Amino acid sequence: MLEFTNPSVFLTWLVFLPAIAALVIAVLPARGETIKRISLGVTAVVFFMTLCMIFGWSQVNFKSGVDGMQHLFSIPWIPSFNIHYLMGLDGISFPLVVLTAFVSLLAMGASWPIKKYEKGYCILFLLLETGMLGVFCALDFFLFYVFWEVMLLPMYFLIGIWGGPRKEYAAIKFFLYTLVGSVLMLIAILMLYFNSDLRALQNKVTPQQILATGVVSPGLDEAAQQAEWQKIVSAETPQHTFNILALQLMGQHTDLFTNPNVTWHGHSLQYWAFILLGIGFVIKVPSVPLHTWLPDAHVEAPTPISMILAGVLLKMGGYGLIRICYPICPAAGYELAYWVCGVGVLSMVWGAFAALAQTDFKRMVAYSSVSHMGYVVLGLGVWSAFAGTQYNPDYWKMGMNGAMFQMIAHGISSAGMFFLVGVVYDRVHHRNLNEFGGLFAKMPVYSGIAVGIFFAGLGLPGLCGFIGEVLVVLSVWNFSITLAVISAFVVILTAGYILWAIQRVYLGPTYKGPHPEALTPMTLREFSIAAPLLALAIYFGVNPNALLKYMQPSVDKTVIELTDWTKKNEPAAAKPATADATPADKHNS
Amino acid sequence: MDRIPLLLLVAWLLPLVSFAIIAIGYSVPQFFGIRVRYSTQKYGAYISVAAIVAACVLSMTAMFWCWLPNNPLKSSEEHEGHAEHTAMASPASVGEHTPFKLVAQEKSEPSDSAATATEPTETERTAAGSNAPPTSLTGDWYVLGQFGNLRLTIGYYIDTLTVTMFCMVSFIASCVHIYATGYMHDELEDYVDHEVHLPNHEHLHRRGRFHRFFQFLSLFSFSMLGICISGNLAMTFVFWELVGISSYFLIGFYIERHSASTAANKAFIVNRVGDFGMLIGLMMIWTTLGTFNFGDMKDADGTVHPGIFSQLRLKQNNYELAPADGMIAFEARAQVAEVVRNGGDDAAVKNLITNLRNDTNAHWGQWALLIAGVGLFCGCMGKSAQFPLHVWLPDAMEGPTPVSALVHSATMVAAGVFLVGRIYPMLSPEALLVVATIGCITLILAASIALTAVDIKRVLAYSTISQLGFMMLALGLGGWVAGLFHLITHAFFKSLLFLCSGSVIHAVHTNDMRQMGGLRHKMPITAYTMLAGCLAIAGIGIPFVFGFSGFHSKDAIVEQAIHFARTNGGTHPWMWLYVVIPLIGAALTSFYMFRLWYMTFAGSPRDPHKYDHAHESPPVMANVLIVLSIFAVCAGWSLSWVGPGVLKNFGVESLLEQARPIGILGNKPGVLLSTLVIPDEHASHATAVKVPAGVSAILVALAGVLGATIVYLWESISAASLRRSMSLLYAATWNKWWFDELYDYLFVRPTHLIAAFIARVLDRGIIDGIIHSLAYIVRGFAQVVGIGGDRYVIDNAVDTFAEKTWDLGLSLRSLQTGRLRQYVMFIVVGMIVLFIVASLLVKFAVAG
Repeated sequence: MLEFTNPSVFLTWLVFLPAIAALVIAVLPARGETIKRISLGVTAVVFFMTLCMIFGWSQVNFKSGVDGMQHLFSIPWIPSFNIHYLMGLDGISFPLVVLTAFVSLLAMGASWPIKKYEKGYCILFLLLETGMLGVFCALDFFLFYVFWEVMLLPMYFLIGIWGGPRKEYAAIKFFLYTLVGSVLMLIAILMLYFNSDLRALQNKVTPQQILATGVVSPGLDEAAQQAEWQKIVSAETPQHTFNILALQLMGQHTDLFTNPNVTWHGHSLQYWAFILLGIGFVIKVPSVPLHTWLPDAHVEAPTPISMILAGVLLKMGGYGLIRICYPICPAAGYELAYWVCGVGVLSMVWGAFAALAQTDFKRMVAYSSVSHMGYVVLGLGVWSAFAGTQYNPDYWKMGMNGAMFQMIAHGISSAGMFFLVGVVYDRVHHRNLNEFGGLFAKMPVYSGIAVGIFFAGLGLPGLCGFIGEVLVVLSVWNFSITLAVISAFVVILTAGYILWAIQRVYLGPTYKGPHPEALTPMTLREFSIAAPLLALAIYFGVNPNALLKYMQPSVDKTVIELTDWTKKNEPAAAKPATADATPADKHNS
Repeated sequence: MDRIPLLLLVAWLLPLVSFAIIAIGYSVPQFFGIRVRYSTQKYGAYISVAAIVAACVLSMTAMFWCWLPNNPLKSSEEHEGHAEHTAMASPASVGEHTPFKLVAQEKSEPSDSAATATEPTETERTAAGSNAPPTSLTGDWYVLGQFGNLRLTIGYYIDTLTVTMFCMVSFIASCVHIYATGYMHDELEDYVDHEVHLPNHEHLHRRGRFHRFFQFLSLFSFSMLGICISGNLAMTFVFWELVGISSYFLIGFYIERHSASTAANKAFIVNRVGDFGMLIGLMMIWTTLGTFNFGDMKDADGTVHPGIFSQLRLKQNNYELAPADGMIAFEARAQVAEVVRNGGDDAAVKNLITNLRNDTNAHWGQWALLIAGVGLFCGCMGKSAQFPLHVWLPDAMEGPTPVSALVHSATMVAAGVFLVGRIYPMLSPEALLVVATIGCITLILAASIALTAVDIKRVLAYSTISQLGFMMLALGLGGWVAGLFHLITHAFFKSLLFLCSGSVIHAVHTNDMRQMGGLRHKMPITAYTMLAGCLAIAGIGIPFVFGFSGFHSKDAIVEQAIHFARTNGGTHPWMWLYVVIPLIGAALTSFYMFRLWYMTFAGSPRDPHKYDHAHESPPVMANVLIVLSIFAVCAGWSLSWVGPGVLKNFGVESLLEQARPIGILGNKPGVLLSTLVIPDEHASHATAVKVPAGVSAILVALAGVLGATIVYLWESISAASLRRSMSLLYAATWNKWWFDELYDYLFVRPTHLIAAFIARVLDRGIIDGIIHSLAYIVRGFAQVVGIGGDRYVIDNAVDTFAEKTWDLGLSLRSLQTGRLRQYVMFIVVGMIVLFIVASLLVKFAVAG
């Protein structure tokens, strides 16, 4: 139970501590402030645990520069369906876990102004945290799906009960959108599950690769593992699995999902699975045209929930794409690369334009999230390793690393932006951009931090937003000139809406809205939430390697695997001719 | 030599340290609600001044104690000796990259430098055809990210140009910092902003923020020096943005003024338009060359990674510009894919590229080269306020005058010119023609607007744009030294002019020249130092004897223009426009500068009240003016008479000549435009060019001065009558050729319309409309099923069934008669029926 040096114990505690705390809180007689203090303590402990993995003792330390899964463990859960309690972390998920713990801690700190049903709020908040951490840790598709759903309900209630005037509408909209996504995902999961067969991996991949997936119990000695694997291989019936890592191997090294006998409308199973999963994840990102839940949810959600929503929840979409969509369905990813990138670019442009038109401060920030998350989708999809580039994976590596970096950067900057909007909203109870002004004189420290965070969103060098954006944008030209030009164009719009908002809110001689007397300087609590975000924004902007050293090996591995797949499988018909005629083009023509 | 990177690194970082100290140190007490005392604010300024002066000292040390002793300067005659070797472009040959210059430096610290800059051998020089490979030091300090073979780094590329720029920037910045301690002194007390009108008709009262001004000046100095020392284009882009944001903060220093914050936004956004183009250029270079480094980098294991310059100008190709293999491969992806698909290896691809390169009619790779060059130039257009992105600079005058002097005339806006000079080896003749054309349009356009402006700072702002146009023109026509020479001299005289105007504004509290006049009696130092600046910018001098700094540099530009027109004029007579327009521009320059001087300092006071209150500025400002005026006079001189030693032949021109990138001398014929020739710069010093150029340049300058004197000093022709006789032209220039209005209609409003359309119509209307209608359909369906189906169909069916059963029961009741015989008969009949049914079943179903 308490052997923290055992990865299964450590990760389980990490994920379930908030949920256990939620149960304890539910039966505690305490109320109000005390509950919030306990919850804050719990989120702090979770964050401390993630810090232990960065700085801590060797057994739980997450090593940088390693590309494989660390802390991998597997415990049978529902053996009849081959469902395992399978968790592990690699460079892709680990930064997101740390981000989740960090943003949750800050968001709990930002929850102090919430005075309604505090107990219920804290319980739901902690359940939400468990769901989020679980999604990033789970490597069994079924487990992943369970956490995905666990996260959904608390969010629904948090928006629907503690939200603004149109909270019911926003909550239902959020719920239905996401539910549609998860239903599609469930279909895809089952499609993949029933077509998977562990036996097919025999002789297709190396034993090391099989061991790394955790299909045979990690931690056993070699002979026992070998016996276990032989048992699987010699089985008479197909050995279905939910193991995401094993499914990745099947997608890349076998034709289980591209079986020419199993097609629908001329496309393989993989193709349809990619589309179903893709829609599910793209809703979460969210990308245009499936993004309209986001502005409403953000505007109505209370400040801390907006922080969580923008800081963590949106990242799950990107995480799903990089962890599940591309590695499991490479053929479909290759075929649809142009479409995925197109969606990313469309979101970037659309979000930026829409942000420019907003008069509600929070809505503007919400649309900026749509725009910034577009970079993530774009960067993940720049499949520029094809014959015309002699299968050079470097630019794609850069794009995908940029996308991952952008996820963290956006997690920091957007959580900060939503918090800063919340700070003034708490004081003057309105968010009309045209009724602010002159905040610099009244709240100098707040305004200074705000300008810094907003500039991080603008992508100013020296701040975290720049690195992600520039890595993505520079990688696109090799994939498609058209998309590259459009994505470069967005820098103008971004500068436009951010600077215009800064001018209307912080600059100018006087505050133009109601309750001018309430504009008091930032409190210590608010400062200690905003300042770490700004500090991190600067730190990652100046020293991107602090982040890249963790994520890059895993991301590069993903890219190299997909490049190897392309070399072997690039269909003769789909030879991209120019930078602009990418796979999808050829296929459509 | 080894110490130079370290010296410049420290010089570069000192302002950053100062920025950080002021930013954090002065915010902490603010957080605890403590106001920073004015006496404490002063120390912020001192920190900033100390940092930049130290940076200046370090730069000078690097120049005079480290650089020049190792790289003695040559006189111009010695350089021109090489002009004879000028080689014409020879057929491109392909081969492995050879570094043209020994450079080696691994990341980590520069002190362990193996970077011994070797003196190029004479054979190398001859191979170079025209000029010797310039000495340069390059290396990385810091890796931002590495992806396979792609590396994004923070590093340095130091050549004579870098050192010269460091000296110029840090020196002018020091002057401006010192001047600003005097100019901004009213920020050291509670400040009443007369330009801000509150709703209660009062002026805004606020605390002074002296230290903040210096905080941003330090940030700017750091960013600007970063551009100068930058070793690769990615780093240039980083600092490009950072100077942009410093400029944003400084323009918008008076954050309460709406005009100031709008101008700051405008500056940043217009610059971002340029950056959009720049990004395209960067993407092209990144994709086709796989590096952003200017120079060649050596790995720890000794592998040399060729930089941009040596990829595009191969040694075996005699350093002539030719598209790199990557560019051809990029344009020929279909062919490459074909080869790869057929199992071709790297050698096969290389072979293909060689074949394509030898196909001279197809110009493989030329478009990639052009896009890369023009794309980067777009960034320069934004930063250097070139047409059509010039509109932000005049508005940027909302910032305090020291800012205008430093950021918006001497340094930041010159960064565009500097970058063109830096990337010069990768600009094809066609790209250079674009540069020249943009410069040409800009210089005449801005000069025309300066003629009628009455705001003293705006006159200078348009003059700056116009002079930047001159520089671009020179660079575009092949005058690498001429353009950058003008950059340096302009920096001195224009910062002087701005600081003088600041001194005037400080004295009379207005920018409007119509309220000035006769001020030379009140403020002689300002007046006569400004006169020196005016003479310098007008390019006054006696040919071959003496000249103000602007005379030398402008002369070089005109020479190059005439040389260009003589070379190309035969095939394209319209190319004489590249001579005529700058000459007209030069005349206009001296006209509007002397108009400015006469309106401000000469004649009688137009506003006696303001005149009476005017006074000479305090010594801290006036002394700076004197120092700068000395440089404005003599920055163009060359110390050719100095004997052996560091200062032998010292002069901006000879410094730049030493920095000249390899392979850019000689006549460069265009490829896409085959009749275009960018002529050899050294040949422009031939007497046949030099004499007409010198004479015409001085004549137009004098004509302009004379014109201004007639109209504004002697008033023989009244300005009002001139205005009336050329009313249309006057209206056009007065309204700045309506660019602001045009852009408002063309770009700003449509952008807002599109934004509103996307946000309201597409987003909330169509997408949400679809979502809502889906919801309604589902709800409607639920109602149909719930009310219609459930209640009517199923419930009715169940109810009916129950009713019918009941009815059946009721009707069957009549059968229950109680008569025994009747029941027996029912049983018998029933049995018989059952029997028949059973036997039929057996027969057909079971047996059959």
